[in-house]
Amino acid sequence: MTIFEFALKRSFGNPTNLIFLSLFPLAAIFLPQSELWPALPYGYHYFGILLLFVAIRLTAILIEDRTSGIVKRLAVAPITHFSYLSQNLLAFACILVLQCTVVVAGGVLYGQELGQPLMLLVLYVSFAFTALAMAVAWVALYRSKEIAFLVYMTIIVLLSLLGGMLFPVEMIPEPLSRVIMVLPTYWLTDGMAWVTSGGDLLDFWLANGVLWLYTIIFLTLGSVRKIH
Amino acid sequence: MTIASLQGVVKRYGTQLVLDGVDLDLHEGEILGLLGPNGAGKTTLIQTLTGMTPVDRGTINLFGDDRHPFSHANREKLGLVTQEITVFDELTARENVLFFAGVYGIKGEEKKRRAAEALAFVGLEDRADKRPAKFSGGMKRRLNIACALTHRPRLLIMDEPTVGIDPQSRNHILEAVTRLRDRGTTILYTTHYMEEVQAIASRVVIMDQGQIIQEGTVDELVRTIQHEEKVSIDVTDASLVDRGRLEQIAGIKQVTVHGNKLTVISAAGAGNLDRIITIIKEQTGLVGIQADKPNLEDVFLTLTGKQLRDKEEGS
Repeated sequence: MTIFEFALKRSFGNPTNLIFLSLFPLAAIFLPQSELWPALPYGYHYFGILLLFVAIRLTAILIEDRTSGIVKRLAVAPITHFSYLSQNLLAFACILVLQCTVVVAGGVLYGQELGQPLMLLVLYVSFAFTALAMAVAWVALYRSKEIAFLVYMTIIVLLSLLGGMLFPVEMIPEPLSRVIMVLPTYWLTDGMAWVTSGGDLLDFWLANGVLWLYTIIFLTLGSVRKIH
Repeated sequence: MTIASLQGVVKRYGTQLVLDGVDLDLHEGEILGLLGPNGAGKTTLIQTLTGMTPVDRGTINLFGDDRHPFSHANREKLGLVTQEITVFDELTARENVLFFAGVYGIKGEEKKRRAAEALAFVGLEDRADKRPAKFSGGMKRRLNIACALTHRPRLLIMDEPTVGIDPQSRNHILEAVTRLRDRGTTILYTTHYMEEVQAIASRVVIMDQGQIIQEGTVDELVRTIQHEEKVSIDVTDASLVDRGRLEQIAGIKQVTVHGNKLTVISAAGAGNLDRIITIIKEQTGLVGIQADKPNLEDVFLTLTGKQLRDKEEGS
């Protein structure tokens, strides 16, 4: 588990990462509740966007390893590419799941109105894995960390806008409203609506199921690229 | 004893033939210098020998195994020092070495001991807890080597390990490579610096256009070329020297003057040095004389028609 151990160490070794990994999630706990929209406190409604940012920051390690030649060196070592990738992903996933847990537990302790906190945690964890898989697939396309970041920022903004994270999905024109169902952020918003308003439990698991389906698809795409 | 070999290895990238039937043996305990101009196929040869790139045709035998040369067990005996500096800037030197030791399955106290040993071997023990981001180029290169040593490889492949560093660091690395050889490690060493190969290699292989065009010890290679003899003569006043008289001496091909230095080129074995000196002494004072023997650079130039390094790179 050397790669897992060092992926954790490297993730926290960067000062900017420390802000993303610790300060921002803590700040999210204390953001206030809106009177009209969104139903969850701001920090919790926008937490999905933070997960997208954190995921791309964490997976930047994979680009660095590829461009610096670390992956090439590991290709000669007695370790498979699958082992390298899975240990890194496990470390990133641990960080994201810990963040989700801290945010939800912190909100409960602070007295935030979270509807069904346990289900919210389940939903956040599902989305954290989707965000991680999307980031892995994304960084597999690039050799430059800066370009990958820059373009992905735009993608995050678009996903947030169209997925109903920055304004209600009901405001989206009818022709677009069906198209946005393909976005992972739509299913996060859908799940968050269930957490605050309740409804058929099947709907909640459907949202989670779609997010896990995306996770599998993106992880498969992201694991194709190996040495170069 | 042969520790690794390539037989009839062919590798193509698209229509480009990069390795064209390469046969190569690496003998246990030797430093094999691999030379070749850019695009000769050196990197591809390393990639095939380490299992990074599959071959289109031919056989690779590693540690006596040609059926599964890149098995887990064989990879544990193989080390690679990449041309790029492949260390983590966000980790300390010690952590970098510990990382690679861990990847090779070394655990616990043994891992710490091996890491300290590897850092001491390259002279970085006093920098062990510093991050390489603040290291000089030479120190980074040494750390790059240390990372490949913790698992004590039987075969170490070093791809241009001294690129872009100061002479002091280069000497340090060359000494380390020689000490590695002395403790039994077999080394495949590629470089663009001819003097490095001349200094440390037991045997030299010259590649060009995907083929091995010559191999042998440095002395054997130098003997293969018929070369002119070049003598540089420093005099007190070169303007007093009658070049015409010198050029009439049997075997002399060319006499050139730069300042007070005469350069006389003769056919090999002409045996005319005494006559040259006599004529010069009749006309002016003799300050110094130096005979330049053919070296590996001349062999390389003769065989490939190319300089190993671009002239503007300096030497």
